[in-house]
Amino acid sequence: MAAYRADDDYDYLFKVVLIGDSGVGKSNLLSRFTRNEFSLESKSTIGVEFATRSIRVDEKIIKAQIWDTAGQERYRAITSAYYRGAVGALIVYDTTRHVTFENVERWLKELRDHSDSNIVIMLVGNKADLRHLRAVSTEDAKTFAEKENTYFMETSALEAMNVEDSFTEVLTQIYHVVSRKALDIGNDPGALPKGQTINVGSKDDVSAVKKVGCCSS
Amino acid sequence: MKSNNSHNKEEENPKQETSPNNSHTTTLDSRFNQTLRNVQGLLKGRSFPGKVLITRRSDPADGTILGSPGGSSSSSRSPSEINSPPSEHNHIHMDDKEDHIHRDKPNTSTTDNKSNPSLSISNSEDITKEAPRFVMGARATDTARIIKFTKVLGGTTVILDKLRELAWSGVPSYLRPNVWRLLLGYAPPNSDRREGVLRRKRIEYFDCVAQYYDVSDEERTDEEINMLRQIAVDCPRTMPDVTFFQQAEVQKSLECILYTWAIRHPASGYVQGINDLATPFLVVFLSEHLEGSVENWSIADLDPEKISNVEADCYWCLSKLLDGMQDHYTFAQPGIQRLVFKLKELVRRIDEPVARHIDKQGLEFLQFAFRWFNCLLIREIPFHLVTRLWDTYLAEGDALPDFIVYIFASFLLTWSDKLVKLDFQEMVMFLQHLPTHNWNYQELEMVLSRAFMWHTMFDSCPNHLAT
Repeated sequence: MAAYRADDDYDYLFKVVLIGDSGVGKSNLLSRFTRNEFSLESKSTIGVEFATRSIRVDEKIIKAQIWDTAGQERYRAITSAYYRGAVGALIVYDTTRHVTFENVERWLKELRDHSDSNIVIMLVGNKADLRHLRAVSTEDAKTFAEKENTYFMETSALEAMNVEDSFTEVLTQIYHVVSRKALDIGNDPGALPKGQTINVGSKDDVSAVKKVGCCSS
Repeated sequence: MKSNNSHNKEEENPKQETSPNNSHTTTLDSRFNQTLRNVQGLLKGRSFPGKVLITRRSDPADGTILGSPGGSSSSSRSPSEINSPPSEHNHIHMDDKEDHIHRDKPNTSTTDNKSNPSLSISNSEDITKEAPRFVMGARATDTARIIKFTKVLGGTTVILDKLRELAWSGVPSYLRPNVWRLLLGYAPPNSDRREGVLRRKRIEYFDCVAQYYDVSDEERTDEEINMLRQIAVDCPRTMPDVTFFQQAEVQKSLECILYTWAIRHPASGYVQGINDLATPFLVVFLSEHLEGSVENWSIADLDPEKISNVEADCYWCLSKLLDGMQDHYTFAQPGIQRLVFKLKELVRRIDEPVARHIDKQGLEFLQFAFRWFNCLLIREIPFHLVTRLWDTYLAEGDALPDFIVYIFASFLLTWSDKLVKLDFQEMVMFLQHLPTHNWNYQELEMVLSRAFMWHTMFDSCPNHLAT
């Protein structure tokens, strides 16, 4: 069995999913966040892929287990299985292709049908570096996010803009929900076995901590 | 399968090998040895020309290679070595030679290859050092193989069973386009009819393109527009590491093939990954017209008529290939789910400790094997090995979906030692980026030979899989 490794130590393990249309840059957002890499030559994701990274919030180490999913509709039967147990989700669209923004609504529904109702959701408009090609205005997206009660940020995986912030924000919000819940029920989330995912639980009122505040800049 | 994997050795501290896993591996070794003995018993007296390297042996030398956990790391790179003591190469692995022919191709014209198959000796130093007899034998066998191919292909009617038998172990690259067209049932076995049939099929494809692809968006349904959009997103992401595929004309051809196929197969439509499946056909059929390595090809060197014909051949061959696995790409992809389940069962039968470990860590086979089935392993091995792998696929014909489960089990268990040491997360990451970038024909053929061996063992004896 695997040897215990100190650098693998963490207080919380959160499962997060990356969803959105094909070609919006989900895989590059993930590789930028977990390995600080970007590739113009990336292949389409088939099924699901996976990466992790740990960050520190309030002196706690939070390990994010991020599942990157294929964007094509045909794969939803496969990929939606991964929504189970997810406590966070980034719904990504491409700021230069309006149709990918139009489909966000379907992704939201998909997510809400298959995941816990308290999941922390962020709408992410990627490829914001392509300013001359912009097809979705920041205002429209912000309005939509407000209406749907999700967080919102514009990012550029290529320029590493807001990538760190968007993931960190989602993870921090999950942490707030979970730690508040832990206080409530006196549970020690740190004692959770590895390989398990913390479930936010349905009794908690996550909507209380949801607000549209962390916008792009 | 203790010593099958020389890659582990490079990556791991040798000390790890003498860890508490020894009991595991010893069990494994003895089980693998048992498997070998069984198979040798099974195959005794039977000949599988060029198919698998279960060699004649005079002593129970399993222990020499497979025993002693932590030791015996020096050997076992090629299938012939796995199945016989290193000193006893009384059977030659023909495909080691194939490999040299492939590498020679860029420097020699096809006619050279045809007239002088023995040119491959020059690249065999590594083998020469080890066993001079090997080279002599290999050259003879290789020539013999090419003669066999030429003979089978030369008749008025190609006997497909004979061709399959030969092609299973690899097709010389200059014969590959013709052999593939025959194996897939695209070109008819009867040589008198062949040219006429191909001409007609190509025209049929051009008609389809005119009817479905070369129309304005107004004439398409929303669904078709969506599909075309998805294909257009994926074409630039097809083989992005091979510059040839980035040329506009190549992408246009690819788009055309995929869209036409998708329209004519509405039950599945285009599914991401099918773009990958078209690439081996493109490369193989273009190799009839372009010299040298794919890296240096320029589609501009080719006249449009030839491009069209290549495109048509790709279309039909892709169609033929996918005909055998339609439900792999329909809603919820039941065909793939079924094969993933079979893979899991098979791995459990072959290597219970690995299966148990995977299960205990909570790793689902679907999490890693889905892509394998969806893209037929193209994503998992270097591109220069893909056509060789496909020789075997296409030789299997209708039996491919069954056999591929054995190939994937063998592929997965290449890393059985490694896998049992990883936790869930490490395993997912490892399986997502398997260390195959330095693989050559030997490693791939090891996988194939073992798959053949297991298939021979288990498939004829379903009870082996029952309990």
